Amino acid sequence: MNSWQIFWNRVKNPGTINSILTGLQNTAVIAVFGLLLGFVIGCLLATVKIIQSKNPAVKGLQYLADGYIAVFRGTPMMVQLLLLHFAVFIGVKIAPVAEVSLIFGLNSGAYMAEIIRSGINAVDRGQTEAGRALGLGFTAVMLKIVLPQAIKNILPTIGNEFISLLKETSIVSVIGLADLTRSFKAIADSTFEYFIPYVALALIYFVMVMIITVVIRLIERRLNRDKR
Amino acid sequence: MISVKNIFKDFHKTEVLKGVSIDVEKGEKIALIGPSGSGKSTLLRCMNLLEQVKYGEVWLDGRLLTPVDPYLHPDIIAKSKTFAKLCPEPGNAELKAEVISKIKKEDLLKKHEGAEFHSAVRRYLKENRLNANLARRSMGMVFQQFNLFNNMNVLKNMVFAPVKLKIMTKEQAEEKALKLLDRIGLPDKKYAFPSSLSGGQKQRIAIARSLMMNPEVMLFDEPTSALDPEMVGEVLGLIKELADEGMTMVIVTHEMAFARECATRVMFMDGGKILEEGAPDDIFGSPKNERLKEFLSKVL
Repeated sequence: MNSWQIFWNRVKNPGTINSILTGLQNTAVIAVFGLLLGFVIGCLLATVKIIQSKNPAVKGLQYLADGYIAVFRGTPMMVQLLLLHFAVFIGVKIAPVAEVSLIFGLNSGAYMAEIIRSGINAVDRGQTEAGRALGLGFTAVMLKIVLPQAIKNILPTIGNEFISLLKETSIVSVIGLADLTRSFKAIADSTFEYFIPYVALALIYFVMVMIITVVIRLIERRLNRDKR
Repeated sequence: MISVKNIFKDFHKTEVLKGVSIDVEKGEKIALIGPSGSGKSTLLRCMNLLEQVKYGEVWLDGRLLTPVDPYLHPDIIAKSKTFAKLCPEPGNAELKAEVISKIKKEDLLKKHEGAEFHSAVRRYLKENRLNANLARRSMGMVFQQFNLFNNMNVLKNMVFAPVKLKIMTKEQAEEKALKLLDRIGLPDKKYAFPSSLSGGQKQRIAIARSLMMNPEVMLFDEPTSALDPEMVGEVLGLIKELADEGMTMVIVTHEMAFARECATRVMFMDGGKILEEGAPDDIFGSPKNERLKEFLSKVL
């Protein structure tokens, strides 16, 4: 039997197919929910950071937001995962996939905050002023005028963030979660064939990234209908 | 209608307005002229509170718009613990006024003042914000850079604020918007996005958007300065039409011929002050101020 046949025989095994599908599902869930949670956290942090106020409570929140971003951007994802999983969330009754999604969301939120903030700052001040001059409140101007334009500007960057998030989920096997990488590592370890399983794994990630790229491009084109 | 009393404004310690007062009466058309950096635009922006004034008052129809610092407001000071300590009998109006005048802002910021005081400060600031939003509805503002909402088409640009603020239903707003678009000659642009319009079209739509709110006064901040020369006419024509209908307006402009023809009063500003004001014919025909003479000799 050559390497390819060994690999193929193993994959045909229903147990292996199941573990690959579970792994694929876990990877996708972690990436998608991590991104969504990161977006929500990012919006909150960005809002806190752009408010211009001398109110001590707001100032305090801004220092907290800065601290949060500094810590999550300043330490490796792997270290955060190990620390949060083995030391902080220990004893918390929560599904492992949900827990890991949360950790990825917390990490992604820090990056997302800076992306969203720069997107908001890039929207012309005149847009806000025109809204306020019509008597609209801060929230309405932000949600309906500034944010839609900001999101359109940062969409490619969010796509980038999603892609790197998806690829980074491959480290979750260190805490024993059955993701895509782990299912292929199991195949490689049990057959002593390394080249083909890992090339196949790389291909699957590559296809997923391509799908994201295409989807982002479609959304971008749709949002750009107001441009000539 | 709008009354500006002795306002001061600075940007990072550069004084831009140094004690400016204007009274705008109903139906008046005031043209603000002057060299760049003289504070004309800032004055206009202070009128509808896009800029916070450092000192002075802006009144609209007898309502004070500019917020007084809450820590300087007598009613709020009277709620502080510092006041309670210093004034044993708050019923005595004379004593009360005297004690209040002695309490400084720093005193109130330094000490711990109970929850009642802080909630009074917060309530006061919130009311002020609401006041400012309400006041802006009756003041239409037109910007040099048009500032149409880029993410909305022309119709949505016009109906968004009145519908969001529940002044009109969507149907009423759309009907009014279509009438206005007819009037400015752009009915076929209702679904166009701002990026596909020319500067003159954008500015006319921006004016129509302000008119959607039925403003009592229109503020124009150099409405033609960002336009190609051939488009200036169409925008000035529309402004002239509004003026002839009796709209009260304040226009910051470099179009001297327009100011002379359209304004009922012209004000010349330089260095953050109004140096001369009067009827257009007096200002342009027989200027008295040296700086104004010099300015006119360069621009006319």
